[in-house]
Amino acid sequence: MMFQKWKALAFSAIAAGLLGAAAPVQAQTQVNFTVAEYSSKTGPYFEEVAAAFEKQNPDIHINLQVVPWDTLLQRLTTDIAGGTAPDISIIGTRWLLDFAGQGIAEPVDAYLTPEFKSTFIDTFMAPSVIDGKIMGLPVAASARAMMVNMDLFDKAGVKPPTNWDEFYAAAKKLAAVPDTFAFGLQGKEIETDAYYYYSLWTHGGDILKADGTSGLDTPEALEAVKLYKTMIDEGLTQPSPTNYTREDVFNMFKQGKLGMIFTFPMLIPQIKAEAPDLHYQILPFPEGKAKATYGVTDTLMVFSSSKVKDAAWKFIEFAYKDEWRSKFDHGEGFLPVTKNVAAEPYYTTDPDIAGFAAGLPYAKFAPTIANWEEIADTTVRTMQQIYLGQVAPEEALKGAAAEINKIRGL
Amino acid sequence: MKSALRSTPLLMIVPSLLLAMFIIGYPIIDLAWTSLQEVSRFGQLRGFNGWDNFAEVFSDPLFYGSLWRTVIWTVAVVGGTLLLSLPIALILNDEFYGRGLARVIIMLPWAISLTMTAVVWRWGLNGRAGLLNATLMDLHLIAEPVEWLATAPMAFATEILIGILVSIPFTTTIFLGGLSSMPQDAYEASMVDGAKRWDQLRYLTLPLMRPFINIAIVLNVIYVFNSLPIIWVMTEGGPANGTDILVTYLYKLAFRFGQLGKASAISLIMFGVLLVFTIIYVVMVMRAEDDGGAAGEASK
Repeated sequence: MMFQKWKALAFSAIAAGLLGAAAPVQAQTQVNFTVAEYSSKTGPYFEEVAAAFEKQNPDIHINLQVVPWDTLLQRLTTDIAGGTAPDISIIGTRWLLDFAGQGIAEPVDAYLTPEFKSTFIDTFMAPSVIDGKIMGLPVAASARAMMVNMDLFDKAGVKPPTNWDEFYAAAKKLAAVPDTFAFGLQGKEIETDAYYYYSLWTHGGDILKADGTSGLDTPEALEAVKLYKTMIDEGLTQPSPTNYTREDVFNMFKQGKLGMIFTFPMLIPQIKAEAPDLHYQILPFPEGKAKATYGVTDTLMVFSSSKVKDAAWKFIEFAYKDEWRSKFDHGEGFLPVTKNVAAEPYYTTDPDIAGFAAGLPYAKFAPTIANWEEIADTTVRTMQQIYLGQVAPEEALKGAAAEINKIRGL
Repeated sequence: MKSALRSTPLLMIVPSLLLAMFIIGYPIIDLAWTSLQEVSRFGQLRGFNGWDNFAEVFSDPLFYGSLWRTVIWTVAVVGGTLLLSLPIALILNDEFYGRGLARVIIMLPWAISLTMTAVVWRWGLNGRAGLLNATLMDLHLIAEPVEWLATAPMAFATEILIGILVSIPFTTTIFLGGLSSMPQDAYEASMVDGAKRWDQLRYLTLPLMRPFINIAIVLNVIYVFNSLPIIWVMTEGGPANGTDILVTYLYKLAFRFGQLGKASAISLIMFGVLLVFTIIYVVMVMRAEDDGGAAGEASK
C-alpha cells in the first residue's frame, strides 16, 4: 500500500520532470485529520471514507492520524504547543470548552448549512453549543443503561427492578444465589464517578446546581451514595469495589457472576463474542425521583489555526452522508447522532440497542465546564473514601462540594 | 608555553562539555522557565506569574501526602532491595552446581520492561480472576480471595514489594561486581588467623563492600524516587490518592488536569531533591577513590 503510493509518487515526479517546468503539477490540498481510535475498526473505516472522498476530490488529500484515546489529549496538547495542530480532530466533548476557551476551536456556524444542520439529533448537538456558537459536530454518541443477568433473576425468583426500592429488594434476593453477587459496583479508575452519577441523577440530584455550584452537598446526593454504601456493607455488591475497574466489573458480568450492572452499548458485541450463552436484558436505570441516563458524546472539531478549512469542511460533509454514518455506528456499536440513521429499523427494533436508545429523551450530559477532569477526579476520590469507609458520606460529600466550588472559582 | 600545554586538554573537552551542558541544561532551564509562568491547558505560555505555581503546590495537601509517601516508597524499596540483594549476591558468589542458571534466573526480571511487569502483576493480583489468589486458595493458605489493591495501605505495601523485586537484579549485579574484586589474600590470611565464615563476613566482606553499598544506595534512590510505571499501572495513585507519590501526582496534574505550570514546579522540586543525592553520590565516589583499592575498581 505504502510502497505503491511511493511508486506512484516517484512515477509522477519523473513524468513531471520529463514534461518540464511547463507541465502544471497539480497542487493537492492536504487536510490533517486526527482520529480517536475507538476500536480496531476505526482506522480502516476512516481510511475507506478518505479513499472514497479522494476519488471524488482528487485535489484534496486526507492525512489520517489514528491515536488511541488514552494518549489523545496528551498528543493534541503537544501538537498545539508545538504549532503543528491538525486541521480537524475527534475529541471528547468534555474537552471542548477548554479548546473553545483558548481560541483553538473554530466555530462552524458559518459552514453549517441549515440543511446539513437539520440532519443531526438536537440532543446530541446541544453539548457542542458554547456561548450560542456551534464549536463542533457530534461524531459519536452512547447512552448508559442497566444490564441484568436473567438466569440469576430466575434462580432468585425475582423480577428485574424498575425503581430503587425494587432494586434494593431484588439485590437482597439475588445475594442468596451462591457464588454470585447481586450488584457490580465500580470503584476504581476512569468513570468511577459516572457510576455514582447514575444514582445521583435518578435520585433527583445533579452534578451542578442551578447557580453553578457543586450539587454534591444536597440531600439527593447523600441519599444516592448512602444506597451504594449500604449495599457494600450488606454484601450486596462484589467485595471491595475499590479494586474493580469498569472492565473488571463487566468481565465478572460476562462470567455470569453478577446480577446487575450499569453499562454502555459497546459491551453487547463483547458479550456476543465472549459469552454467547448469557441471558441478559437491557433496562432503564432504576427510577427514584427522576428518570435519567448518562449521554456521552464525542465531537468533531475544526482547528482555528487550520489554513484549509474549506477543504476540511468538504470532507466533513462527505463523511456525514448516511451510508458512512450508518457503517460507522454499526461497526463501533454507537447510537446514531443523525436522524436518518436513527430511523433505521435496527435502531428501533433491536432490543439491545433500543434499550439504550430509549433513555435518550431524558439523557443527561457531563456539564461543559472548565477543569472538568479535575472535578471528576475529586468526585472519584470522594466515592473511594466513602466506599472504603474512610470518611462518613455526609462529611465526604460536603468536603467534595467545597473543593469543587474552589476549583470552579466560586 | 607550559600554560598553553596545560590548557590543551581542557580545550579538547570543551566541545563535549558544551554539548553535555546543553543536553542536560536545556530541559532544566526550560522547566524552570515554565514553572514561573502561567501555562494554558495546551502548553502555551501566558506570561510570568512569579511564584504562583510554587505557592499553589505548597498550599496543596495532596502534595504533602505524596511527598511523604515518596519518602516511604523510596526508603522501603531501596532498604528492602539492599537487605535482600546482599545475601543473594553472597550466595551467587559461591561456587555451586547450577550457579550460572541461578544467576540467570535472578537477572531475568531485568530483561522485562517495568511497565509490562506491572501489567502482569495487576492481572495476577486481580481479586476474583487473579492467579495469586487462585494459587493461594489451591494451597489452602487462604479461604477467601484477598483484594490486594482495594485499600491504600495494602496496595502500597504490594507495590513496594514489587518495586523491591524489580530492583534486585541491578543491585545484585553491583554487589557481585564488588565481591569478585575482593582481594583473596586477605581471606587466606584471615583463615590462617582462625577466622570463621561469620567473622570474615562481619570484619572483611562488609567493610570492603562499603563503597559498593553506598553506590547501590544512591543509584537506587535516584531510580526509585522517579519511578512511575509500577504505581501508575497498578493503581494510578488510587484508591483516594492513597498510593500517589510525587511522580504519579505530577503526571496526573500535567496530562489529566492540564496544569502544566504547577506540574513543572513539582518537577523542579523533585529535581532539587535528587540534586542533593547526586552531590552525595559525587562526594562518595571521590572519598572512595581517596581510599583507593576495591572502590577504585567500581568507578572504572
